[in-house]
Amino acid sequence: MSFTYARPRSLEEALDLFAQAREKAAYLAGGTDLLLKYRKKEAAPGLVISLNHIPGFDLVEEDDREVRVGAGATLRVLERSALIAARFPILTDALKHMASVQIRNAATMAGNVVNAAPSADTAPPLLALGAEVVLLGKEGERRMALKDFFAGPSRTVMTPGEILTRFIIRKPAGPAGGGYAKVSRRKAMDLALVGVAVQLELEDDLATCARARIALGVAGPTPIRSPEAEEVLKGAAVNPESLARAGNLAAQESSCRDSLRGEAWYRREMIRVYVRRMGLLALKRAREASTS
Amino acid sequence: MKIPVNLKINGDPVELMVEPDWSLLAALRTMGLFGAREGCGAGECGACTVILQDQRGQRTVNSCLLLAQEAEGAEVTTIEGLANGAGGLHPIQQAFIDHGAVQCGFCTPGMILSAKALLDENQDPDEMEVRAGIAGNLCRCTGYNQIVEAVLAAAEKMKEGSS
Amino acid sequence: MSLEAGGGGAKLSHVGRRLPKTDARNKVTGRAMYINDLTRPGMLFGRIKYSERPHAAIKRIDTSAAEALPGVRAVLTGANTPEIRIGMLKDNPVLKKDRVRSYKDEVACLAAVSPEIAEAALELIRVEYEDLPGVFDPAEALEENAPLVHETGPRGKPNKSNKLPLPWRLEAGDVEAARAASAFVVEDELEVTWVAHCCLGASGCVAEFDAQNNPTLYSITQIPYLAQNDFNRALAAMGLEGKTVRVVGPTIGGGFGSKLDTHVYEYLALLLAHRTGRPVKFMFSREEEFRAQPPRQPARIRIAQGCDAEGRLTFREVWMLLDNGAYTSWGATTPSVMMNPISSLYRVPNIRYVAECVYTNNIYSQAMRGYGNPQATFAIETAMDQLAEKAGLDPLEFRLRNVNRPGEVTPQRLEITTCGLKECLEGVAEKLDWQAKKAGPRSRDGVRARGVGVGSLIHVGGGARVYKSDGHGMIMKMDDFGKVSVITGAVEIGQGSETVLAQVTAEVLGISPEDVTVVQHDTDICPWDVGTHASRQAFISCNAAIQCALKLKAQIQELAAQSLEAAAHQIELSDWACYIKDDQDNPDCRIALDKVLRQAHFTNKGRMLMAETFYDPPNEMLDKEFKGNLSCTYAFGTTGVEVEVDQETGAVEIIRYIAAHDIGRALNPMLLEGQVHGGAVMGVGYALTEELKVEEGRVKTDNFLDYKLLTALDRVPVEPILVETDDQAGPFGAKGVGEPGCVPVAPAIANAIYDAVGVRIKSLPITPEKVLRAIKEKEGLPIDCEV
Repeated sequence: MSFTYARPRSLEEALDLFAQAREKAAYLAGGTDLLLKYRKKEAAPGLVISLNHIPGFDLVEEDDREVRVGAGATLRVLERSALIAARFPILTDALKHMASVQIRNAATMAGNVVNAAPSADTAPPLLALGAEVVLLGKEGERRMALKDFFAGPSRTVMTPGEILTRFIIRKPAGPAGGGYAKVSRRKAMDLALVGVAVQLELEDDLATCARARIALGVAGPTPIRSPEAEEVLKGAAVNPESLARAGNLAAQESSCRDSLRGEAWYRREMIRVYVRRMGLLALKRAREASTS
Repeated sequence: MKIPVNLKINGDPVELMVEPDWSLLAALRTMGLFGAREGCGAGECGACTVILQDQRGQRTVNSCLLLAQEAEGAEVTTIEGLANGAGGLHPIQQAFIDHGAVQCGFCTPGMILSAKALLDENQDPDEMEVRAGIAGNLCRCTGYNQIVEAVLAAAEKMKEGSS
Repeated sequence: MSLEAGGGGAKLSHVGRRLPKTDARNKVTGRAMYINDLTRPGMLFGRIKYSERPHAAIKRIDTSAAEALPGVRAVLTGANTPEIRIGMLKDNPVLKKDRVRSYKDEVACLAAVSPEIAEAALELIRVEYEDLPGVFDPAEALEENAPLVHETGPRGKPNKSNKLPLPWRLEAGDVEAARAASAFVVEDELEVTWVAHCCLGASGCVAEFDAQNNPTLYSITQIPYLAQNDFNRALAAMGLEGKTVRVVGPTIGGGFGSKLDTHVYEYLALLLAHRTGRPVKFMFSREEEFRAQPPRQPARIRIAQGCDAEGRLTFREVWMLLDNGAYTSWGATTPSVMMNPISSLYRVPNIRYVAECVYTNNIYSQAMRGYGNPQATFAIETAMDQLAEKAGLDPLEFRLRNVNRPGEVTPQRLEITTCGLKECLEGVAEKLDWQAKKAGPRSRDGVRARGVGVGSLIHVGGGARVYKSDGHGMIMKMDDFGKVSVITGAVEIGQGSETVLAQVTAEVLGISPEDVTVVQHDTDICPWDVGTHASRQAFISCNAAIQCALKLKAQIQELAAQSLEAAAHQIELSDWACYIKDDQDNPDCRIALDKVLRQAHFTNKGRMLMAETFYDPPNEMLDKEFKGNLSCTYAFGTTGVEVEVDQETGAVEIIRYIAAHDIGRALNPMLLEGQVHGGAVMGVGYALTEELKVEEGRVKTDNFLDYKLLTALDRVPVEPILVETDDQAGPFGAKGVGEPGCVPVAPAIANAIYDAVGVRIKSLPITPEKVLRAIKEKEGLPIDCEV
C-alpha cells in the first residue's frame, strides 16, 4: 500500500500538512506503535508526518510551579532525567520498566499516552500526579487534565489533526511522594498485567495524608483513578491498615476483566496488594524528600 | 516508486533507494548488510538492533520499526562497522568469542551493539545494569549468563585500554 | 571420577580446553549467513495460505484472482499437484484437498516475483468451507460420539476412533503385587502444555532445480539424510523417480528439535520450484513461526509410585494422554523416550507405562529438546517428593536411597555403565546448603518465603538407536602441510559440534584445532549421519573422528617409521612432528610432519593421506516390548534450586540454581557450560512462564510479547557442577549433554515452591496466579472476596 512521508520543521507546518491530507494522515513520533500497526494492516495512512525534526519539541523544563515535558522527549531521555527522578520518581518507576532500551530510545511518552492502551505504563503515574496535557490544533491550543483525556480503549478526546505538544505536571506544595508498580510476568519487554500508581501528599506531620491520588492501568477500558479509595485516605493516617482499606476499595471500584493475558480476580488481588505497597513507598519517599 | 535516502552507514556516505514504507532494516539488508536480522518484525526481539546517531545523540534502535526515511542525515552503525579496519575485533566481539557467548549466533550482532551502547554510556556497569542494557535482545541458546560475563569482561578490558 | 575437569590419563593438549567456538568469529562480525540471507538468481518468494477453520470440508478453492495478479508465477492446491503425504503415519498431505483439520492446514501455496506481490496474491485466494464439529480436548476426542478427525487411515481403512494406532506400553515386574506390598503409595495427576521452540532464526528454505531437473534444497534441517530420503519419495510422486535432492545447509539459527522432521513448507518449495522452473524461497514471519511450527508435545499424566518402609522404591506406574493434534509428527513418539526416565530414573523394580495419543483439531507436536523427558520427569520427580513426604524422609535422602549405580541394568534393560548421579545429588546438596535450609525457617517477614527443591534426570548420552542405524559417516583428508579437512554428516545448530570435532581430531593427530576444517551440511559431499538429535553429536561424531583420525595416524606412523628407521608403533605425533617415543628431543629421532607428507606425495607411486569411517555405536534398538540398551551410556544430572515466593502475589524468584551434570568428560568445558546455562533457562521458562495458548484450535500467543520467553533481566543464576565419570564408551570419556540441562528443572522448582510455602502446583507453567490461588486455598483465605 505504502504512503508518502513528510518532515515538517514546525508544528504549524505539521498541522497544515495534516489538514491538507484530510484525515488520511498520521503523525509519527517514535514509530513503535504506528509502524507496528501499519505492518499488521491495522493502520493505513496515506501520509506519514514525522514530528521528530521539530526543534524544541522534546524540551524538558521546570520552574517554581511546574515541570513541562515536551511531547518529543523519548522514554529513554525521560527515564534518565535527573529532574524527573528527583521530582516525580513515580514516573521514573514506570519509564524504567517499559519495553526495552531500544524501544525507549525511539518511543515517546506522548505516543504512549496518545495510543491510550489500557496498559500504557506512563498513564497511571501521570494521572496520579494530576498531570495536564496541552493539545494543539488548527483552531489553537487547549489544555486539560489527563483524566479527561481518555475516551475508551485506544481512544482519546483528540480531534483529527491535533497534536499533543506537552505535559504539565504541577509540583506539589508540601511533602509528597509516590510509587508505581507494574505487575508483569517477566522483567522486561512485557505489558502490565495491572499497573498501580499511588501519589500521596502529606501534612507537615509526615504521617497524615492530605490528599491521595490512586491510578490504575489494565483495570478498566482506560487508565483510571480510584476516587473512593482516594477519599478513604484523605485526612487519614498513612499506615498498612488504611492503605489496605484503600486497596480493597480500589479493587472494588475497578473494572478488571479476564483476558488472554490475565484473569480479573488476580488483577484485583494485585490492586489490593500494590496499593498498599506503593502507598508505603510513597510515604517513605515523601519522608526522604522532606528531610533532604 | 523508490526514493533516495542519504545517510552514513558505518562511516561511509550512502544513498539508499527505498520504498517509502521500508524499515531501516529492510533497507540495510538490500545493501547486503545482513548482520541486522529480522527475528520478529515487531520490535520484540532485538535481532535487528543497530546504533543510530543524529541530532538527538547516539542510541540503539530496533531497525525493523524505524522508517528508512527517518534515518535521512543520520549515521548508522551496524555490526559490520564495529571491527576496526585492520581486521581487529572490537573488545566486545572478542569477549563474546572468548566467553562462550555465541551459540547459533542469530541474536549476536544485535546483542553486541546493545552491549556497545551500554558500555559507551556506562563504563563500569554491574551485572544487573548489563542485564537491563541487553534486556531488549532475546536469546534462546545461551541463557544469557555467558553473554553477561562477556560484557563485564569487555568492560574491564576497555577500562584498561583507556587508562 | 572427579569433580574437576581433566580426569586421569595422559595430558591432553586440546581436549578439555575452553576453546572458543570455531565459527564464533564469523558470527560476531555478522558474516555468518543464515537462510534469511540466502538469495538465488531469479528467486521467487513463496507464501502459504493456511486454513481459516479448525475443522471443515473444503467446498471450493478459487485461485483465479491470485493467478491473474501480475508477478505471480504459480498457485498450487491439492487439485493441481500430486498427492504427497508426510509424517511417520503418512497422514499429512502437504496440500489439503477435501478437508482441513486444523488452523495450520496448508490449503494453497504460491510463488511470486516479490514478497509484496506474494502477500497481495495470498489475500486474493478464496476458500469456501463447510464447518464440521471440532474437537479440541484429547479426552473428549476419545469419547463415543466424538467427531472423527481422520475418517480413514492413510491406506483408506476406516477409523473407528481418534486414537492413534501406536503401541506405547512398557511393563516390567509385577506392579499390582508391588503396590499391594508397599508401605507408602502416592498417586496424582499432572498436566503439561504446549511450548514453542522460539528459535531466533525462523523457518525457511530455498528450493531450486538445475537444468537437468536435479533439485537442491537449502534447508535448516537437523536430519539432512533422513530428510533427503523423504524428499526423494516426494520427487517420485512428482514424476521425478530416481532423482535425488541435494540437501545443503546455511548457518542454522537454532534447532532445539524443531528440525528433526521434514516440514510441509519444504515440500511446497520443491513443488513450486519444479512448477515454475525457478528457485523458490519460503521465509516464515514470527507470527507464522508460532502458528505453523509444531510445538512441544503436551501431556496429561497420572502417576502412582510406592516404596517400602525403608524408603526403597517398589513400583512406578504412569499413564498418559497425549493430544496429537491433527497430524502426526514426532510428538507422538515422545513416549518412547519417556520410557527411559519412567523405567530407569532411580532404581525401581516394577514399572508400567501406557500412553495414548489422540487426534484433535489442535496444532500437532514435534520433537523438542528432551523429547518427552521434561514432561515425564516433571511427573516422576514431583511424585518422588510426595512419596518422600509420606514416608517421612528428606527428599534428597530419599533419592540417595534409590540412586542408580554403575553396572546396573534397569527394568527397560538400559545398561548403566558410568553413573555420577550420587555425586550430582551430593554436590547439589552441598552447594545449596541443603541441611541448613531444610532445618531453618522458611520465612522471616511472613511475606517472602524461601525453599529448596531438587530434580534429577537420566537421558541417553551415547547415541540412541531410534532408527535401525545410529551411524555416522566421516571422511578425513590431510594436505601436504598437515592441515585436515573433516567431512562429516553432523549438523551444527549452535551447540558446538564442529568445535569439539576439531579439538578431538587435533588431539589424535598432534596438530592444532585451528588447522582442522570441518565440512558439513551437504548431502552431496558429506557421508550419512542419522541426525543431530538425542544429544548424540559430541559422542558419535567425536568417536567417529577418533576412529578416522587413528586411521590417518596409522598411515603417518607407517611413513614416518620408514624415514626414522623405526617400527610404526614406536612413532608418536605431537606439535606438528613425528618422533620416536621417549626420544623426542633427539633430532635423529624426529621429523616434521609436513616433511613426511610431502615425501610421501611428491615421489613415484606417491600417496596422499585420506581415511574414512562409518561409526555405528554398539547400542541396540528397543525390541517389541520397548526394552533394550538404547544407548552406549547414559547421562545423569541433578538440578537444585532455591526459590523465593512472594506469598501475597504468588511470584516466584530463583535465588540459587545448581546444575550438576554427569557428563563423562568435558571435551570443551566452555561450550558444555553453554549447554547447561541454555538448557537451564529453557527449563525455567518451561516451568514458570512459557505457554503457547491454544483456544478452539487457534494459537493465540503468536508473538514475542504474549509468548513469555525469558529475557536477560529474568536472571537465572546457574552454577554448573561438572561431574566427570570418564565413560569408556565415549570419546575421551565424554557423554552427550545437549538436552539434559532442561529436563529436571520444572519439578525442582515445583518441589522448592512446596518447600517454601507448602503448595504443590501440578500443571505448567507455574504462574503466580496458580501459586497465589493455591496459597489462599491452603490458608483458607478467600480469593477475591471483597468484590
